[in-house]
Amino acid sequence: MAHPLQELVHKGWVWQGREAAEQLAPDQLVSSGWAELDRRLGGGWLRGAVHEVQVQHHFQGELALLLPVLLEQTKPCLWLNPPCQPYWPGLHYQHLKQAPLWLQEKDQKQALWAFEQALQSKALGVVVAWFDSIDASAVRRLQQSAAKHQQLAFVITPWQQTTEARAYVNRLQLSWAAEQLQVAVLKRRAGWPLPAFPCNIERHLPERRRLSA
Amino acid sequence: MSQTKLWWYLHVPQLLLDEQLSLQSKAQQQQPQVLCTSDGQHRRQVVQANRAAVAGGVRLGMAEVTASTLLPDLQQRDYNEARETQVLRRLAQWLHQDIAQIALYPPQGLLLAVHDLQRMYGGYAGVQRQLQRRLRGISVQYVVAAGYSPLVARILAQSGKNVLSTEKAALQQALGQVPITQSLLPPHQQQQLQDVGIEQLGPLLALPVAELGARFGRSMLSYMAQLKGELLPPQQWYRPPLRFRERLDLLTEVASWQQLLFPLRRLLQQLEAFLQVRQLSVTELALIAHHRDKRQTFVRVAFALPLWRQRDMLQLVQLQLERQQLKTPALELSLRAEDFSAREAQHGSWLPAQQDAHAQRNEQRQLQALVGKLQARLGEQAVQQAQLAQDWRPERAQYWQASAVDEQPTATGANLPRPLWLLPEAEPINVSDWQLQWGPERLQSGWWDGQSMVRDYFIALDRWQRQGWIYRACVNEQSASNEQWYLHGWYS
Repeated sequence: MAHPLQELVHKGWVWQGREAAEQLAPDQLVSSGWAELDRRLGGGWLRGAVHEVQVQHHFQGELALLLPVLLEQTKPCLWLNPPCQPYWPGLHYQHLKQAPLWLQEKDQKQALWAFEQALQSKALGVVVAWFDSIDASAVRRLQQSAAKHQQLAFVITPWQQTTEARAYVNRLQLSWAAEQLQVAVLKRRAGWPLPAFPCNIERHLPERRRLSA
Repeated sequence: MSQTKLWWYLHVPQLLLDEQLSLQSKAQQQQPQVLCTSDGQHRRQVVQANRAAVAGGVRLGMAEVTASTLLPDLQQRDYNEARETQVLRRLAQWLHQDIAQIALYPPQGLLLAVHDLQRMYGGYAGVQRQLQRRLRGISVQYVVAAGYSPLVARILAQSGKNVLSTEKAALQQALGQVPITQSLLPPHQQQQLQDVGIEQLGPLLALPVAELGARFGRSMLSYMAQLKGELLPPQQWYRPPLRFRERLDLLTEVASWQQLLFPLRRLLQQLEAFLQVRQLSVTELALIAHHRDKRQTFVRVAFALPLWRQRDMLQLVQLQLERQQLKTPALELSLRAEDFSAREAQHGSWLPAQQDAHAQRNEQRQLQALVGKLQARLGEQAVQQAQLAQDWRPERAQYWQASAVDEQPTATGANLPRPLWLLPEAEPINVSDWQLQWGPERLQSGWWDGQSMVRDYFIALDRWQRQGWIYRACVNEQSASNEQWYLHGWYS
């Protein structure tokens, strides 16, 4: 029988301080393009990791949040099961360098297989996947695969009601308040969860103004 | 080194049985097995027997009844000469990797012109090593004999003499001991020679040729000239086919593709050898499962990038087959490939600029490999990449390609703030739920191909603060009142 504390550690409910001392090479972190977010994530997105972005509704601003990272990529990115068709003229307008590879697969098992294959390939930039739900063991597997091949990946899911632990390195939750996108950090590397803060994603969106009717 | 030009003859007395055994598991190979023929009205007799059968007392030429009495659990199959010839052709193709000039002597022999290969492999010993190495890869029983004429090599090999001497005298001596029954002369001439007391080729060679000619006719003259190496008839050299077609007998009925993977590996190995000789690669092949009732199941396998290694091809074929089901059991499996392309040279460069290009090409290849793997398992349409198109209509401004695109995006004339997402079909909406922010942008196009449209596009916010791309369909200029609005895309 394991120590009760071990069980808590296993569930991810206990944060252990020693991780903070862990030194990371500068190229291990990829700037998210948002200064505030970078500060909260301890420098940016960790390479070789899967990050979760929870959205209240699709098209809420999640792509704008990831755009700075996507724009940095010189290799094509894979979009796995996006909620609808990516529109290359619009992405091209945002100066994306390579058209995304669009993979649509209904069967969850096959989609996860494809995700893992993509993480193992050196030919891809970032992998972005949309899943309605994804179980803990699948996430752990993906995280291991990403860590092994030093790939950066994002999973976009609806808001999760349960507080069940997942092996993601960072878990963000997006919402919209006071005409600004709010980003809450539910889980991060070496740190407590953080409350929502506004993220100024407007610079990647058309200007908002009220039209005189 | 002897100056005599030498030929080698490869005799494979059990080719068909060896081929069948190589497809079986170790345990199956231990079972006694024979191939039998029936010569018309006569009894059926054993023509090929495996080691287990021979150990059990079965001899070649034995009546099938006798053999099955000796070994009650003996497996018997029919000998098929046409099929053995096919196998021989495959063997020739396999050896063609090392030896350019091969003549087929169906159903069980190959004549190899080795004289010119000495320089390449370092003498006859080198050629022999190379041949043995190549034959070790496939489990075939064989006899190789040398000869100073094709006929001599053939007679020696078929009489089971493994003589690879380079000395003419040694070969002549071995030839002298070959019985007349194995002289390859027509049966009636063999009988005539035996009647005058000539039992071996030695005494025959000692006789004066002119007298033999007078007695046995012109054909005997030509035979004697070949036996002495004075006449070297031209050979029809084997030319490998430009398309790949191979067929394997599965011996038992196989009910699923998974069980076919083992024979498939052999076929792909053949294909690799085929491609290696010609320095080609393949992007598409066809697998055909043949059923008992002559029907066929056809599976087309396409690769996203040209391949030639068995390992790579097998991996992709395997992924593709996981999606397939074999409805009826298969008896035979065949593999066909016709579309070949020359291999692209892959070499690095010392110049920095070219190194970059090389790295890029390498990346491109890796990407194609990944796409190929994904498409193999998920279907060809599962992975796509967009291309820009010159069209004002939003749904036609891009099209999807099933393979990874090589080129960088080409700039279009207009660079307009288009959404990042496009709905596959525009959705009717109630415009009162939306807050218009920017617009209108009128798009009027397509009058030339009957799909004309007049739309006023706006950027608008919905109640979740999401920015959508909506439009008003204008039927005509005047009716602005009860118009229909549609959602067509999303920003962010």
